Amino acid sequence: MSRDITLGQYYPVESFAHKLDPRVKLLLVIVYIVGVFLVDSLYAYIVVGAFLITSIIVSRIPFKSVLKSVKGIIFIVIFTAILNLLFHKEGEVLWSFWIIVITKEGVLFSIKMALRLLLLVLGTTLLTYTTTPMSLTDGMESLLSPLKLVKFPVHDVSIIMSIALRFIPILMEEVDKIMMAQKARGASFDNGNLFKRAKALLPVLIPLFVSAFRRADELALALDARCYNATPNRTRYKKLTLSWRDLVATIAFAVYIVLIVAVNNNFWGLY
Amino acid sequence: MSIEIKNLSFVYGAKSAYEKRALEDVSFTIKDGETLGIIGTTGSGKSTLIQHLNALIRVTNGSIVIDDIDLSQKRINLQLLRSKIGMLFQYPEYQLFEDTVEADVAFGPKNFGYKKEDIDYMVRQAIELVGLDYYEVKDKSPFELSGGQKRRVAIAGIIASRPSILVLDEPTAGLDPIGKREILDLVKRLKDSFVKTIIMISHNMDEIAEYCDHVIVLHEGKLIYDTTPEELFSDKEKLVGTGLSLPHTVNIARLLSEKGVEINESCLDVDSLVNAIEKAVPNE
Repeated sequence: MSRDITLGQYYPVESFAHKLDPRVKLLLVIVYIVGVFLVDSLYAYIVVGAFLITSIIVSRIPFKSVLKSVKGIIFIVIFTAILNLLFHKEGEVLWSFWIIVITKEGVLFSIKMALRLLLLVLGTTLLTYTTTPMSLTDGMESLLSPLKLVKFPVHDVSIIMSIALRFIPILMEEVDKIMMAQKARGASFDNGNLFKRAKALLPVLIPLFVSAFRRADELALALDARCYNATPNRTRYKKLTLSWRDLVATIAFAVYIVLIVAVNNNFWGLY
Repeated sequence: MSIEIKNLSFVYGAKSAYEKRALEDVSFTIKDGETLGIIGTTGSGKSTLIQHLNALIRVTNGSIVIDDIDLSQKRINLQLLRSKIGMLFQYPEYQLFEDTVEADVAFGPKNFGYKKEDIDYMVRQAIELVGLDYYEVKDKSPFELSGGQKRRVAIAGIIASRPSILVLDEPTAGLDPIGKREILDLVKRLKDSFVKTIIMISHNMDEIAEYCDHVIVLHEGKLIYDTTPEELFSDKEKLVGTGLSLPHTVNIARLLSEKGVEINESCLDVDSLVNAIEKAVPNE
């Protein structure tokens, strides 16, 4: 069951995208997100889609696995699309019944919104697929380090983040184990209405919390025992370095941004 | 209840980057009344194998027939199957969740649909079977008990629904020597009750040698031995390359016979070793 949740899961293959510096990847993904929100012509969305597909090919991750990440949000996508369809009242009326009015602009708008959400999730999934949680937090820490000047505890925040990320798979495994143990005692988790199902989860949640607290305790002890944070300037085992790949990726991205802005504005009427 | 496993194979995460072959063409039979030991190093497929037994993992390749229930069938009566086959996981104390010991032990029987009066009796019997004082512990929170007691309560929670087959995944892991012995003696005692067949995973060869009458060895998902402990431990060569070792008693007997003491028995527990030595070296 928990194996279906893909968000924040690393896909271990060797590729150009996997070898990029996490800082560069983080920044590029932020630029990508801004890009997705900026464009609003359908042609520009095609360019974004083509760019995304190219990125997936470059990262050598099977399309099927990337598409899995959409599964979790498909409901939200459909829901927002329907809402947009119903509440967009201006423009050419295509069909109307009672208080429901569907306009041509409404259809276009809801398609765009759905595309936006899909492209957003697919793009960010690519980041977590190609970057281990550890290097992701390392990259984040490095990017946030200017905040140290205003006494923001960057290192502490990043260690909290990396511990949290690290514990997601452990806790999932734990959920699997506890569920199996309770199933063996006759518990069933997929029968009955919503309320019943929620109640059926108690035998899983209570042991899960107990064990999470126990693990947290043990981890804190282990950190203490190794004098964690006793020295102000920790050195790193893995230093982040930029390479030619990062340059290539950045240039490709710059070209892409120029392209979508141009397409979005119909090449400013040049053609 | 006999269990027949034929050509069982299983692959985790089929067709993904994490694909892992866990079982490969495993076939063997467990007869009614046996105590079966399953040994093998970490990752040899032991846990995957036992999770198949009560359909926590469904059969995808091969077949398992337990009495008249065919597990390779699409629709099976899970509740019935799981009430017949009790399964104790590693560190079972982590599955306790109720406010009181009594309620926790009653969780299984309640799920299996027993009547209130029956449940009360079953819970009491289970708690007493595992060697705890019913009136002393029944209203306590399971979280305030000691480690060994928690494990007993967890075992009580499994046997409360009266399984005729009990599957134990490393029942003694993480206990001190006295706790280990107590749990093993408890397991032995259970065989005099409604539990007819016991299947036990263990890393401890001494436990296997002493308590089991049938043993299988898994290595990288394949069944490499299906035999008795006497047979398995009679030949040191058999365990070469599996990462497993001989039981201490067998080892001592071997070392002694290498030094010229004549010991011919298999010596699977301390008593038989002592007897064999006494026979070989008469007291002067």
